Amino acid sequence: MSNVLRPYLAAVRSTLTAALTLEDFASQIVERHNKPEVEVGCSKEVLLNPLIISRNENERVLIEPSINSIRLSIKIKQADEIERILCHKFTRFMMQRAESFIVLRRKPVKGYDISFLITNNHTDTMLKHKIVDFIIQFMEEVDKEISEMKLSLNARARVVAESYLLAFNS
Amino acid sequence: MSLLAPIICDNGTGFSKVGFAGNSDPSFVFPTAIATRGPASQSTRSGPAVPSKPGHLASKRGVEDLDFFIGDEALANTKTPGYGINYPIRHGQIENWDYMERFWEQTIFKYLRAEPEDHYFLLTEPPLNPPENREQTAEIFFESFNIKGLYIAVQAVLALAASWSSSRVTDRTLTGTVIDSGDGVTHVIPCAEGYVIGSAIKNIPIAGRDITQFVLNLIRERGDMAVVPPEDHLKVASKVKENYSYVCQDIVKEFRKYDVEPYKYFERYEGENSVTGKKYNVDVGYERFLAPEIFFNPEIFSSDFLTPLPEVVDTVIQQSPIDVRRGLYKNIVLSGGSTMFQHFNQRLKRDIKQIVDRRLDASVQASGSHIKSSGIEVDVISHKRQRYAVWFGGSLMASLPEFYSFCHTKAQYDEIGPSICRRYQIFGSAT
Amino acid sequence: MILLEPHNYIIQTTLAEKCIKPSTLDVQFVDFDGVRFHLSSTDRKTSLLLSMSIRCWDELVNYGVNDVLKREYGAMVRAEPEPEYNVSLDIDLEQVPPEGEERDALIKSIALIKRNVLAAPFELAFQTQKQLEASGSGQGDLMAMHYRDEEAIYVQASPDRVTVIFSTVFKEETDRIFGKVFLQEFVDARRLPTIQSAPQVLYTTREPPLEIRHVPGLIDSDDVGYVTFVLFPRHFINPEVASATISHIQLFRDYLHYHIKCSKAYMHSRMRHRVTEFQKVLNRAKTEVAVTDRKTASGRSMIRLT
Repeated sequence: MSNVLRPYLAAVRSTLTAALTLEDFASQIVERHNKPEVEVGCSKEVLLNPLIISRNENERVLIEPSINSIRLSIKIKQADEIERILCHKFTRFMMQRAESFIVLRRKPVKGYDISFLITNNHTDTMLKHKIVDFIIQFMEEVDKEISEMKLSLNARARVVAESYLLAFNS
Repeated sequence: MSLLAPIICDNGTGFSKVGFAGNSDPSFVFPTAIATRGPASQSTRSGPAVPSKPGHLASKRGVEDLDFFIGDEALANTKTPGYGINYPIRHGQIENWDYMERFWEQTIFKYLRAEPEDHYFLLTEPPLNPPENREQTAEIFFESFNIKGLYIAVQAVLALAASWSSSRVTDRTLTGTVIDSGDGVTHVIPCAEGYVIGSAIKNIPIAGRDITQFVLNLIRERGDMAVVPPEDHLKVASKVKENYSYVCQDIVKEFRKYDVEPYKYFERYEGENSVTGKKYNVDVGYERFLAPEIFFNPEIFSSDFLTPLPEVVDTVIQQSPIDVRRGLYKNIVLSGGSTMFQHFNQRLKRDIKQIVDRRLDASVQASGSHIKSSGIEVDVISHKRQRYAVWFGGSLMASLPEFYSFCHTKAQYDEIGPSICRRYQIFGSAT
Repeated sequence: MILLEPHNYIIQTTLAEKCIKPSTLDVQFVDFDGVRFHLSSTDRKTSLLLSMSIRCWDELVNYGVNDVLKREYGAMVRAEPEPEYNVSLDIDLEQVPPEGEERDALIKSIALIKRNVLAAPFELAFQTQKQLEASGSGQGDLMAMHYRDEEAIYVQASPDRVTVIFSTVFKEETDRIFGKVFLQEFVDARRLPTIQSAPQVLYTTREPPLEIRHVPGLIDSDDVGYVTFVLFPRHFINPEVASATISHIQLFRDYLHYHIKCSKAYMHSRMRHRVTEFQKVLNRAKTEVAVTDRKTASGRSMIRLT
């Protein structure tokens, strides 16, 4: 992990750990409903202040806590067209498999690339600090993965171009 | 540009059949195998294969994933050091998507030489394929290959459609029982109006491979295999099976016939040693009719599975909803290479008919002979395209003009996503 | 497989098979760029008819495709091609040479029919270049082949070179971006000392190159790119080199698209791997649910799925 990235991730980690104090909370409006309040958004009093942690204009995390759920959205670094399309492909690929990623949201919040929704059920069945670990590791590796993908695309393109042009020599 | 013929791709556990719609035979039939750099995947691993780390950046060139062979070339390259062979499909279902994606890649570009952007594709899936698999398939075909449109059909339904080519079939119905026997396993699948009745499907662990083994055992026991080099044993056995076997109506009578006139019935297989080129002869005797007999009397081969095929078929139909049973008895369709034996359909028909009639008689007696049944029609359809029935059914379906309107198009995929493939529409049947 | 092969695999395998065992036949298949083939047996099993339809046939006729066909296939070419097709070859299996190199060569040359047909304008351009070089000035005609619905190849001879321009269209955003990366590498690759002798490659988006700027009906959009290959006399110095160059350059578009698709497939396998890794990390967060062995009345253990 580069040193510049560390404070950013540390900030996300501590905010997220603090925000992950969830409890079971049934809906106040509809009887027998128990839904993530951050998604329902009907009772203002159970929503907490959303928070943006921003590294620069291209990379930021939005954390929206509520009494029984928190929503975390990430904007991933995209320096150019290639990174944009790779990032889009990757997040879409992952969200396609949201079923197995329990805490992953199928659609990102507007303005972000990928969103997670953690409810009190998740914190009950899973270890809280490990969930935080997962999010942090995801953030750490997704950048790396995208830049690696970009590099390998360039490397491939070079080989492909070279082999095509080399064939003219024979 | 006028529309180019849709591509039909039937990827089975053992063999892949690929070609263009409108033809009567697939353009290519080759093993669903891929030889890649690196060791072969362990065959014993259960559960979905974990994708291995693809070519790391450190390995510089970054095109190692293009270094592979598929089909027959894959088998030919297993001896090359550094290559390992993999079978991406197990039990009819795709297990390793990385390999499968590359398998398709080479099928399309090297063998078919088609630009996938210009074509519609018809793929097949086994019965009870999880919808996630369809989504993954759609993801590969639409995102990697940018195909125009995709239709995923159930193999059994295509096999039914293929039987329309038989002169004995008058109405184009998609209700019937499909007996699909390939190399690895035999399925009995009931279909009602194009939909598979999943709860009633039965598998029989006897198929082409077992018949070959059985033939081999018989010849070996007689001592005739001694002249054949050991590496050719299986090949000879499978040739004998394909070229000389038939289904008899009564084993005892058949044995007697052979004993009275051995010269008339015994055949001789002539082979050539693949290494030295020396000729040899193998006598072909009782195995001519005993080989396919293991479908009807499995006890002669296996000790674990003892239910004869006609009985399995009957159970399957009895477990299906009562209102389609007549249709299922009336239209029993054969598909796959291991149903190609001569007279197979007559024997099967007779045996099933006997089971059905016996049950009818019993119920007549139980009612005290007051109620008489009008009888149940049993028919087993055999046709010329049986070997690649699934592929041929696909070719038929895809050459119908309405095929295009039933495909999921690229535009729909981009709009909705892979989940469009969860919806499955049948078409083409007259009813 | 990095390079694509110029011949059609289906023609090759089918003919090889039919030479050994003739039988009735009626198949239709395709090749890249919307080329359609129809291979059928006529009244006799041993006489086959291979027909091909290609989109830019009318243009090719102007560039001397008939001469090329006559040279390659001689009497096999039918004067009247099968309806709906542009060219038909009669193949008499009784006339094929005995098994061996000669037969393989014949089959191979038939399998190369698409390549040969598309080669006509290139050959013409190479000849024109020779003439122009002798006379020292002038420009050859600009030959256009609209070989796909939205894409075309332009070939033009000059006294010192032959310019080949491909117009490319990418239907999809991902393809367009991947394509750009690839094409940029084609332009840059020439810096390597080993491939300095390769043709020069230029690439522009939207803006058509000077040679074809006057051509009417060019699409003006960001999705359109133009790739220019500048072939120097050394690329067609003798017939062998020239024919290798032609086979190779024809497949440029298919090659590019093939590799774009392969890269996407590669990205998919990378992503599959990465997603499984993430999955493992998340699974570590799950607490172990104590599994108590529950027995049914009959003493069997009961396991609840899910």
